Amino acid sequence: MSASDAKIYAKSSPAKRVEQGVFWLLRLSTYFVLACAVFIFLDIGLKGGAVIFQTKAPFINVPFLTQAPETLNVFELDGKKTTMGDREFRAFKELPGNAERLKGVRIETFVYSSGGIFPNIVGTILLVVGSIVIALVLGIISAIYLSEYASDGPFIRFLRLSIVNLAGVPSIVYGLFGFGMFVIALNMGVSLLAGWLTLAFMVLPIIITASEEALKAVPKGYREGSLALGATKLQTILTNVLPYALPGILTSSVLSIARVAGETAPIMFTAAFVVRDELPWQVQKATDFFFQGVMALPYHIYVVASKIPQNEYTHGVQYGTAFVFLFTVAAIAMTSIVLRVRLRKKYKW
Amino acid sequence: MSDPTLQTPAARPTTREALLRRRRSWFFGLSGEQAAKLLFQGNATISIIVLALITFTIFSDAVGFIPQNRENLETYRRAGLELVDMLRGQVQSHSALSRYLSSARQEELARLTGPGGIALPEANARLEAFDAYADRYANSIGDHETILGEMTDMVSSLKERHAVAADLRAARQNLIDGMRTAPAERAATLKAEADAMEIETIDFAAEIKPLLAMRPAVAEANVRLVQSLKELSGAVPAAEAPALRRKLERFKDLNVRYIAEISDTEKRIMAWDQTKPVGILESLSAFAFGRKWVTASFWQDWYGIIPLFAGSLLIALLALVIAIPLGVAAAIYVNQVATAGEQKFIKPTIEFIAAIPSVVLGFFGIAVLGQTLRQVSQSPWLDWVPGFPMLERLNSATAACLLALMAVPTIFSLAEDAINNVPRSFKEASLALGATRLQTIIRIVIPAALSGIMAAILLGFGRVIGETMVVLLCAGNRIEIPDFSAGFGAVFQPVHTMTGIIAQEMGEVVRHSIHYRALFMVGVVLFLISMLINWLAQKIVRRYRISIG
Repeated sequence: MSASDAKIYAKSSPAKRVEQGVFWLLRLSTYFVLACAVFIFLDIGLKGGAVIFQTKAPFINVPFLTQAPETLNVFELDGKKTTMGDREFRAFKELPGNAERLKGVRIETFVYSSGGIFPNIVGTILLVVGSIVIALVLGIISAIYLSEYASDGPFIRFLRLSIVNLAGVPSIVYGLFGFGMFVIALNMGVSLLAGWLTLAFMVLPIIITASEEALKAVPKGYREGSLALGATKLQTILTNVLPYALPGILTSSVLSIARVAGETAPIMFTAAFVVRDELPWQVQKATDFFFQGVMALPYHIYVVASKIPQNEYTHGVQYGTAFVFLFTVAAIAMTSIVLRVRLRKKYKW
Repeated sequence: MSDPTLQTPAARPTTREALLRRRRSWFFGLSGEQAAKLLFQGNATISIIVLALITFTIFSDAVGFIPQNRENLETYRRAGLELVDMLRGQVQSHSALSRYLSSARQEELARLTGPGGIALPEANARLEAFDAYADRYANSIGDHETILGEMTDMVSSLKERHAVAADLRAARQNLIDGMRTAPAERAATLKAEADAMEIETIDFAAEIKPLLAMRPAVAEANVRLVQSLKELSGAVPAAEAPALRRKLERFKDLNVRYIAEISDTEKRIMAWDQTKPVGILESLSAFAFGRKWVTASFWQDWYGIIPLFAGSLLIALLALVIAIPLGVAAAIYVNQVATAGEQKFIKPTIEFIAAIPSVVLGFFGIAVLGQTLRQVSQSPWLDWVPGFPMLERLNSATAACLLALMAVPTIFSLAEDAINNVPRSFKEASLALGATRLQTIIRIVIPAALSGIMAAILLGFGRVIGETMVVLLCAGNRIEIPDFSAGFGAVFQPVHTMTGIIAQEMGEVVRHSIHYRALFMVGVVLFLISMLINWLAQKIVRRYRISIG
């Protein structure tokens, strides 16, 4: 409210009090939404941060980020509660005398609760990078065609409509499509390739629409000027259209990276394994690389959230994974928002 | 002109024409320009093919469901399961009435032994007459239960044999298919193997005869049942407590209705025709209006979408009820009331919420929200809320709260856009006429932006109904139509949803089985719903777009 407004509004009246009341209501609802989001970030940030960060050097829980998930064994030995990862526990049992000591001791096991999430991080990165490359190449080139080459006709209009509609189709339907098409019809099995294609096609409509919008936003005069100087159409596109549309395209692509990384439903039965002992590069033939299932962070969260109980022993893997995942995706999304704000300031016409 | 120094590289042709001539056959006889256009075109074609493929794959896998379900229903009828289910329905209604009696007894017992009441043995003694009555009532269906048991054994063994025969036929078909590609020697063994298979051909009409022969016994039992029910109806024990008396009055009514039902069922049982064919439409409507989703059952599988649809709709509507006021209020606040500094901070923050992965929200629901809501619901001063205290930690309400948080950014940013697009002059004119800011917002800005806000709400709905992970983790996953007789309390029941069922069951179905195809049918329904929502949103925006002028 400016100063003059304030002067006019200085006198109180019932109508103004009602107005102020309504405005406070609006303000409260807005801040309530923000508070909910902040609460979720704080809850996962604090509890997950306690898993990831440590007070002692090296301050980061390195094993959690570099090891594979293991089963956790919990048992009481000599009146002391002991927790051990599976490998450690087996080595412990081998030690002389320990087999007798463990006789009759009740051992509770919690799957995936020990070790770390390294294969999941690797799998997520692989899935995101591969699918984004496919989606961007297909999407941007298609957008250039639609915006620069295609002549407006009923077919192109119908195509645009279906692209817009496909952008709203639930992600699980894409999962269904990927399963029916790649996993079963093309017989790829649950594999990286099937996951790449499924995720790529999921964001394809979004990338096409956003990139086309960015290309359309470049003023016509830029193209005309270039063409008038004798440049060919391709030269015009490469030198006078794409550079100006790039910020918009970039923003949309970063946003789609966040979307691809955050989705679980499409990879549940196309690419993700609950557990896999080898890392993705430990394959016999190079082609096996594309036809292997991988572990992924979002699917791991689903598994550890729904399949194992909530207690102090499983707490670490649950919150730790959620922390790593949430803050990675949040960082990507933040990049997109910052990028958009900065580029908008830079490019204005 | 003939000086050779002029032909040195320094004199490269620089005109456009020369450039074009030099690059003419750059790629397979195409100029660079043409090749580029071809590349763009080819790529766009791939995209188009992909998009068409998506639609085609989902639909083609789903369409196969209809004949398969038809076969499924036909077996159900021809093996006589349908007839048995008719009788089972009758027996089940009877036991529902028995349960009603026992719940009435429990209430009465609680009243008698409650504060200032009498001791338990004494109370039990006081209810002796009631118990005797309830026992007589429960026993009156005994004959039917016996008949039903016999019938069940008969038809389930028949169905079992049918399933075995079908499996064997499929195995033989596999052998025969294998013969075609196998070398001659192997083919001969395969053929021998296939020929050696003994596959029973089941003559349903003949097998079913003993079942049909039991129909007169059912009729006889019905006569006895009706007689004893009529007697029982007159002999309802007296009750001193008004609550119990009311319940018993209601019981009498229900009993009369049940008696009428018996003759109906009997007529249907007598008129039942095993050979009546199952039509395509019947198969489709069994899916679209089916009230049961039962898979891997020894008796009969049902693929009815209604319980899943009802669950999805309940959660989505509840989420919208929470999200619409918050989202629209935030949009109005940010655009009309907030200071520039607030705007800069709130807008990106709310948009940022959209980036929270749904599986993380689902995990939050399991780890924190479900437990918290349940604890809150147990506090005594919230007893007046229907459905409280919650029976389950994970239910529609838990999922809906999280989905609301996901829908708010969508609704907010689209509604804010719509409000932003209202021409300044509208607002200025209103203010100039002396209207207050609130009046301007309510009377001018919101009506002018209404179409955009409606579209925002619709798209928010689309987002909520298509969400998978939150509902899979937090909705409780019980496949049942919510019991709306509980009123508003229905929102605290666990449900299952269309997206959830796909995510949960897709991993373990046999490919191309009826179950697999049923899940694709659910996918098609989701696909169509999202299409419809998108189309409606576009239509609303276009139809009611305000003209600026």
